[in-house]
Amino acid sequence: MRLSVGLTILGMAIATYLTRAPLFLLLAGRPLPPRLALWLRLIPLAVLPALAIPMVLAPGGRLVASPGEPVLWGAVTVFVLGALRVNLLVSVAGAVGLVALLRALG
Amino acid sequence: MRCLPTCAGAEAPAAGLREGAVASLALVPSVLAYAAVFGGLAVQAGLRPLEIAAMSVLVMAGASQFVAVPMIAAGAAPAAVILTTYVVNMRHYLMAATLAPAFRRFPRGWLPVVAHVINDESFAIAVTRSQPPDPWLYLGSAATILTAFLGGVGLGTALGGLVDDPERYGLDFAFPAVFLSLVAAQLRRRRDWLVAGGAAVLALAIAVVLPGNWHIVIAGLVASGLGAWLGRPDAEAR
Repeated sequence: MRLSVGLTILGMAIATYLTRAPLFLLLAGRPLPPRLALWLRLIPLAVLPALAIPMVLAPGGRLVASPGEPVLWGAVTVFVLGALRVNLLVSVAGAVGLVALLRALG
Repeated sequence: MRCLPTCAGAEAPAAGLREGAVASLALVPSVLAYAAVFGGLAVQAGLRPLEIAAMSVLVMAGASQFVAVPMIAAGAAPAAVILTTYVVNMRHYLMAATLAPAFRRFPRGWLPVVAHVINDESFAIAVTRSQPPDPWLYLGSAATILTAFLGGVGLGTALGGLVDDPERYGLDFAFPAVFLSLVAAQLRRRRDWLVAGGAAVLALAIAVVLPGNWHIVIAGLVASGLGAWLGRPDAEAR
């Protein structure tokens, strides 16, 4: 185990425990305010595309110029499959396979 | 002997545990596959098996682990990885607050451990079965789901080391593919689409001008915050 990675994992573990334990240990009897609950529910919906879209469209902070870029078509494919409720493993395998195929052809 | 086991919640702990485990079996294949994909990709990204195992046991929250691995692989600052992990996992507050009353009569000493096993799948199973959730059923589910999760990570870690040239097989694209699939499967109403689309556009705009990984946390919190502020809170359980 590398020290910096180990410390990062330890920090991740503490940060995650701080999202699980406090309200649980307080035995909160009252529900959270509805608007706060809604926000907590929407966070993953916002974080995941905020992470994925720049990885696809602007790797390294530079916008992808070509519409022929394989990962663009992979992204469209996996998104449509996910929206159709196709199983995660199948969707990802399909999109990854398409990217590999387009790269082999291109 | 303190108040165990009969006064700790459900009438019959064994029955609750069994019911939770059985109800979770339907989800085991997808958890196993998801965790195996994580283990395989983490190896490909250059994490060592011990690091993957430590992360999976200590963090034990799949989505945030998927998010952290490419950041670690790209040499992101530890503080950025930790902050992003925290934001991705903030949804646990909602689950913890909902589950807590069910564990009111459990021995206090158990609770710090029970808190660590809060997970999306067991939460969904427990709250759809009964309100308030049955604590034993919840624990039976958590044991099943997390066994599948850790087993899947181990399997994926073992298999992931077998692939030599990940880019040739498009595997570098697997991380964004997992994120897009996860988010697409959660989009139900117009508000969800606006939040996800707004976060994508905002993150892209920030990523182009601001180096580092700040676009994830900023766009994630701002878009979801706007959605919750302007949207109408509804009564659905999650």
